[in-house]
Amino acid sequence: MSETTTHSIDISAMQRNHEALRIEDEKVCLSVKDLHLYYGEKEALKGIDMIIPEKKVTAFIGPSGCGKSTLLRCFNRMNDLVDSCRITGEINLHDTNIYEKGTDVAELRRRVGMVFQKPNPFPKSIYENVAYGLRIQGINKKRVIDETVEWALRSAALWDEVKDRLHESALGMSGGQQQRLVIARTVAVKPEVLLLDEPASALDPISTLKIEELIHQLKEEFTIAIVTHNMQQAARVSDYTAFMYMGNMVEFGDTNSLFTNPTKQQTEDYITGRYG
Amino acid sequence: MSNELKLKNQTVSQWVKSGDPWVWLNAGAVAICVIMVIGLLALIAVRGLGHFWPADINQGTYSLPGSTPYTLVAERVESAEVPAAQLREAGIPVEAHHDLMVRSLMKTGNRDVYGSDFRWIIDEYFTDITKPEMLFAAERHEWGNLYGYLKAVKEDGQVVAQTEDLTPTDSALATWAAFERSIERATTIYDDIHEVEKGEIGAINHKLERLRLEQRRLELNDELTPEKLADIDAQRAEQDALYQALQQRLIDLYAEINRDTFIVQVMDGSEHELQVAKIVRAYRPNAMGIAEKMGFYGSKVVEFLTAEPREANTEGGVFPAIFGTVMMVLLMTVLVTPFGVVAAVYLREYASQGFVTRTIRIAVNNLAGVPSIVYGVFGLGFFIYFLGSGIDQAFFPEALPSPTFGTGGLMWASITLALLTVPVVIVATEEGLSRIPRNVREGSLALGATKAETLWRVVLPMASPAIMTGVILAVARAAGEVAPLMLVGVVKLAPSLPLDGNYPFIHLDQKFMHLGFHIYDVGFQSPNVEAARPLVYATALLLVIVIALLNLAAVTIRNHLREKYKSLEM
Repeated sequence: MSETTTHSIDISAMQRNHEALRIEDEKVCLSVKDLHLYYGEKEALKGIDMIIPEKKVTAFIGPSGCGKSTLLRCFNRMNDLVDSCRITGEINLHDTNIYEKGTDVAELRRRVGMVFQKPNPFPKSIYENVAYGLRIQGINKKRVIDETVEWALRSAALWDEVKDRLHESALGMSGGQQQRLVIARTVAVKPEVLLLDEPASALDPISTLKIEELIHQLKEEFTIAIVTHNMQQAARVSDYTAFMYMGNMVEFGDTNSLFTNPTKQQTEDYITGRYG
Repeated sequence: MSNELKLKNQTVSQWVKSGDPWVWLNAGAVAICVIMVIGLLALIAVRGLGHFWPADINQGTYSLPGSTPYTLVAERVESAEVPAAQLREAGIPVEAHHDLMVRSLMKTGNRDVYGSDFRWIIDEYFTDITKPEMLFAAERHEWGNLYGYLKAVKEDGQVVAQTEDLTPTDSALATWAAFERSIERATTIYDDIHEVEKGEIGAINHKLERLRLEQRRLELNDELTPEKLADIDAQRAEQDALYQALQQRLIDLYAEINRDTFIVQVMDGSEHELQVAKIVRAYRPNAMGIAEKMGFYGSKVVEFLTAEPREANTEGGVFPAIFGTVMMVLLMTVLVTPFGVVAAVYLREYASQGFVTRTIRIAVNNLAGVPSIVYGVFGLGFFIYFLGSGIDQAFFPEALPSPTFGTGGLMWASITLALLTVPVVIVATEEGLSRIPRNVREGSLALGATKAETLWRVVLPMASPAIMTGVILAVARAAGEVAPLMLVGVVKLAPSLPLDGNYPFIHLDQKFMHLGFHIYDVGFQSPNVEAARPLVYATALLLVIVIALLNLAAVTIRNHLREKYKSLEM
């Protein structure tokens, strides 16, 4: 973290956040109530309470191991895949508790899409990658799929680059393209929420920039939650930021205030690089 | 400046430290393996492939001390040096000045005349060797090879060509030409007879058998009304009429084929009149050039690959055995792949990884080490006697007491081998599944796919190269397996192929021939071991080639799949 100590936060990148955001004015998309998560005996999330506002970008920052990715993976119940994982508390998507018994997890994951740190395209063609989610839903009409694939690839700003090689393997693309393909694939099933788990950490600076631009466009249509290590990125792309530390939500507020005028000492230490 | 960097005057301990001895050891081990494999292949290739070469026929005088000299006409099969003392002990009066003598195995043929095909001679006493051009060899449908001089060819008892000469004079060559024409004609008729007997009459027999079973079934169910009986009888009469016609045709053909005879003079000077119909092919190896011999060699190899065996499997081809082997292996593959994959998916993806799963996994791994004959016994006891007889009771009561599935057959053999090889497929598939990156599975789940959809659409396709590896290992093991097959359906001579033109085309209940068992049978159960030995090598070579081809096919498929999913190594 030594580099963050010397660089101040690029305030100019946050100019677009000029209009004062107030969390109380936002429509609630996801709300988290007293969420505890245990890996075996270890408590990884220690009572989180927060909301994710609709059609805004919410960033999660914090040091490694603070639980921000774990929290993100709670929103689409990805933690169900971990055998020893146990959860108490609730998360409501609009008004439904997603941890209620009998929840259709597959449908939940369709509504709450997720993009991972490492690009993970399937070993199929570009077209089939994007069409995958549709086919899972039983949509087989070629016209519908064609249209959706094009729309999704345009949404992910990838259409112009791949329109001539839709049927080539997705594995031949660059890392940045692959990550945008994964975003297109996620967008294609028209989710309500997009969860981005450090989507640019494995990419070069140019690709990172493209992803950030993309996030900016996508929030017109989707609620976005993003986990990032890069505080400048959080400052650039997000409307709201949550700072987490050791499984606790230390501070949550609109990005502008959090970066310029943090209320907690821990937050200030972290964003100025003095934490720990 | 420092001498330590120089490698001269290196001590042994330094040499050991450098790692060189290990490299030598490893390279040596690899070299030994390669030499052994090449040696094995070379041995069976040389011994097996030499069998088809038309060897020269020697004629000479064999004068063993103390016995009457006689003329010997024979092919040399093999020679070896033996101590003279050993020969003396065997009662052969060898002169005292000999220490080592060359002893040869000669193929004299004419088993019907001399009682055996082979005799051992001592080369020393075999003199005045010539290779007369008119000496001919003939392969026959029975009694093995014939060697001798052609004296005359007859049609309907009338001599059409004859010669007194034992050298290639005009009359001798003309007689030979007449003989060849006669053989060609007989071969054509022979093929016709074979076609009628095996093909048309076989089909009629098949239909008659089905009619008999149909009638029996109706009887058992008390549904045999007079109309149905009349119908069956009408059909039977129709088939019988067809059969009578074919029978008449056969009688005509047999009369035709038995028209020609020929007279041959064998090595003791006696003359014999034989039917041309008994000859498969005749040739004069001493008169053949290298090109002719190669052509002959090619035709023999083709015969070996495509013809049916003759003479208790010691002559002719092995086509039914090739067919049986390949068909059995393919059926086994079709059975073992889905079972193995399904089991591996459950063990790796669904079962909770506790004590029970671990125990099952260990048990599966150990199953791969159970001796194959044990599987044979299990197949016989469980599949054939229990399941098979159950199936017969339930579905084929009309055929009882003769069993349909209650006896060894293609299906039971395939299932037994599938059971034998399923651990290999399970282990390989599990290995493949465990190597699919977690993030790809998560990617699919995050799109709203269920676990089953993820498995089916993403994980299994990506694991398919590993599955194919398992199938390759299974094929390699199954194709070479003989012991269990002897209990569950392989026979030394199957009357017909398990795949033919009669409904239902694939006869899973039929017994079949197998190359591995063929080797055992020809080599060790044959009445004529000397004649069969080269065939053992040839069949062994063929078995190796068949397995290699089956494997090659599977490897090609796997490489294709690997190419498709090669991103895996992230």
